[in-house]
This record gives sequence, C-alpha cells and structure tokens, in this order.
Amino acid sequence: MGVHYVLEEGDIPEGSHKVVYVEGREIGVYFINGQYYAIHNYCPHQGAPICSGLVSGTNLPSDVYTYKYGRAGEIIRCPWHGWEFDLRTGKSLFSDKTRVRKYEVELSEGRIGIVLGSK
Amino acid sequence: MALESYKIIDADVHNEQDDSALLPYLPEPWRSRVAASGIGYAGSGYYSPIGVMKKDSIPPKGKAGSDPEFMVKQLVEGYNVDYVVLTGVVYNISTTHDPDFAAAICSAYNDFLIAEWLGKHKAFKGAMVVATQDPLLAAREIDRVGGHPDIVEVMISSAARSPLGQRHYHPIYEAAERNGLPVAIHPGAEGGGGSTAPTAAGYPARYIEWHTCLSQMFMAHLVSIVCEGVFVKFPRLKFVLVEGGIAWLPGLMWRLDKNYKALRASVPWLKQMPSQYIREHCYLTTQPIEEPDNPQHLIDLFNMIDAENILLYSSDYPHWDFDSPDPILRRLKPEARRKVFYDNAKQLYRL
Repeated sequence: MGVHYVLEEGDIPEGSHKVVYVEGREIGVYFINGQYYAIHNYCPHQGAPICSGLVSGTNLPSDVYTYKYGRAGEIIRCPWHGWEFDLRTGKSLFSDKTRVRKYEVELSEGRIGIVLGSK
Repeated sequence: MALESYKIIDADVHNEQDDSALLPYLPEPWRSRVAASGIGYAGSGYYSPIGVMKKDSIPPKGKAGSDPEFMVKQLVEGYNVDYVVLTGVVYNISTTHDPDFAAAICSAYNDFLIAEWLGKHKAFKGAMVVATQDPLLAAREIDRVGGHPDIVEVMISSAARSPLGQRHYHPIYEAAERNGLPVAIHPGAEGGGGSTAPTAAGYPARYIEWHTCLSQMFMAHLVSIVCEGVFVKFPRLKFVLVEGGIAWLPGLMWRLDKNYKALRASVPWLKQMPSQYIREHCYLTTQPIEEPDNPQHLIDLFNMIDAENILLYSSDYPHWDFDSPDPILRRLKPEARRKVFYDNAKQLYRL
C-alpha cells in the first residue's frame, strides 16, 4: 500500500521503460511524450510478460479501405498473442472490459513513485 | 482457483534451424544448390503484422526454436513438461515443385533431427517429416527412419495438391501403419507454391482471414480421409490434426453422418458411421484454443463429441499463438484435463 519510490527522473529515457519490483509485483514504468505510465507486467489473457512487448503506434479505427496510423509510442502489444493495449488507460483496443492492470504514478522531488492501493 | 498439479505432454513444438544447418546431411546435387541459394520454401505469402515468432522466445544466438538448451530452460523446465513432440517446420516443403528435392530436404532434416535434437534431452521426441509430392519416396523415407526409438509420428503438410484422403497418398499411410506411427498434418504454407488455394472460396486478402480459414483445410482433408476409406484400408492407422481448430468438429460429424445415411452407397466400404471412424482414429491438438466469451461454451462443445478422449494439449512454442498450459481449459474436469494434457498423448505416442 502507499507510494513506492522506485526510480528517479532521468532513469528512463523518453520513449523507453524499466521494469521494477514492488511488493512482489513486476511493474513496467514507461516514459512517453513527457508522461510516466505504470502497468503490471502481466497480460490479462494468458499471463505473458507484456512489458517485453513492442511499444508503437497502430492503425486507429477508420473507414473501409482507409488506414489512419496514430498514437505513436502509446500502444503496447503483448509479445505472445499480439493483443494491443493503451498505455495511458490500460484498456485493450478491442474491448474496454479487457485491460492490463495500471498504476498511478506520482512524482516527488525528482523521484518516480508507484501508487499501490490507496495512498 | 489453483489447479491440481498434473503432467504435461506438448504435442506441437517447433524447432527451427537455418537452411545451412542441413548441409552436412544433404547429398549432392542438393547440397550445392542449398549452399548457393537456400532451401527456397514456397510459403503462403500472407503477412502477419505481429510476426510469427513469440517475441520472448528468441535465444541469445540464432532464431527462435533453434537452441535445444534454451528450449529446455524456457519450455520443458519452465512449464514442467514431460515430453515435447518436435514438429519442426520442414513439412512446408510440400508446396514446392520438385518432388526429388522435397524428399531430399526431408531426409536431411530427419537425420539432422535425430543427430542434433533427439537424445539431447529425455523430453525430446520427434515427428519425422515426409513430402507429399511423391508418396512412394515418402513411404521409403518412413521405412528408413521410422523405426528410430525417439521418432513418434510422421508429419505431413496440410497444404497439398488435393484432398489428403485420395489414393495417391495411400503409400504414406501404409508405411506409417507398418511402422506403428501416427500421421500428423500441420498447416503453414496454405496457398503457397503448388498447393491449392488456402480457402474454399479462393485467396483472401489478409493473414487474419487466411489464419481463421485454416480450419476449412482440415475439414476438407478429414472428410476426404474418412470417405476414401483410409481407415478401412489401414485399420491400425491414427491421424493427428495439428493446429486446425476443434470447435468445428461436432457440426462436421453431424453433417457427415446425416449425409452417410442417404449417400452410403457412394462409399460402401465404410462399415460404420463416419463420425465413428473419426472418434476411433483421429486426435486433434488444442492450440490455438478457441476462446468464446463464456469458456463453458467450449467445454459444452467438447462434451457433445466426447472430445476429452481425442484431444492432445499443444503449445505451438515458439510461435505467436502459443498456448501456455495453465490459463487454458481450466473448466475441464480434473479427469478430462489429465487425459487432454497427458494420458491421450502418452497412449498414442507410447511414451
């Protein structure tokens, strides 16, 4: 419970991530477009280590036979079955009900904190 | 809910190698050809946006599935698997055009498999491979290596020039039966080279369509194998349908049995309901497991056809649609789970 300060700002270059261990959980911390996001390193489908998956953009919903690529750097794709999740919300791109566990990130005096449960 | 611990046999694991790895096992003139130009598989040509390989299965050196020690660590020890059936990828050679070349590649691979995989770990069992372009050459190859103690089945491609029950292929089945080996069919190159279109309707535009419709290929082959009397001619032969899906089977059995009642005279050699031949002679591997929103629906389908006696767990390691053993089929009753994950394969492969 509470805020766990696990990294310092500058530890994660823009566009990359680090996996940290907090109370027995593996959590991936991402630094994307100046924002930090934290997700559980566990895909809700079959439990794959999702944080070893590719982070990229994707084809957004569009009209038939048109392609609208966007959200560069915000979509993580599971390394096993290719399911796509929005790093900002944890939601999968095919259903709001399917999501990877997401954690709030709190910055304080140059430190990066992961919020587990209520503070 | 924690599952009771259970033993596992994985019926579909893909070891892979660079083309050059087969050179020491290839005679001329094929060795020079492969050294200069590679094997030159005729693949399906369909593009997968997520690649075919499971991204965390690539060893420090070489491609996914190429390193026996890495496979032991990640799969055999990682999931506590008793046996894995190494199925390779060389069955895909059956869509190429030269029957002699295809047969030579298969022979080289079988020797490579025996020398460089089997015996490296007690969990490793092998599917020998034969090409379907010339079934007489295939039969000769089965007689050559089929007696090896760690070879447990004969693998052929489900991408073929015609339905696999037809008499042209029977020498393969005769040789497999003679050697006490099941015949397994596996998809991958559907639509490539000299094979038929990958779906009954022709060539779809995308991998998602191609992959979904692979089950059609299995339906067509299975109906052919039963109606052509393969199991009447070769009563001890078993077939393994690998990676072709499962949920379609109840409907196919019902439709085929119904037609048999009216059209029996066109297949008078069948002495029992077609579905009975399937139950007695065919096994299906589980991966990629169908995942309905309500998992019980799949179990309901299984119960309709007593599927727990004909399913073999498979992971498809190290491919993208890998099924980990723990999260799938959790609704199976413990006894059914034991059969699907272990007992059925142990009996079929005599392990």
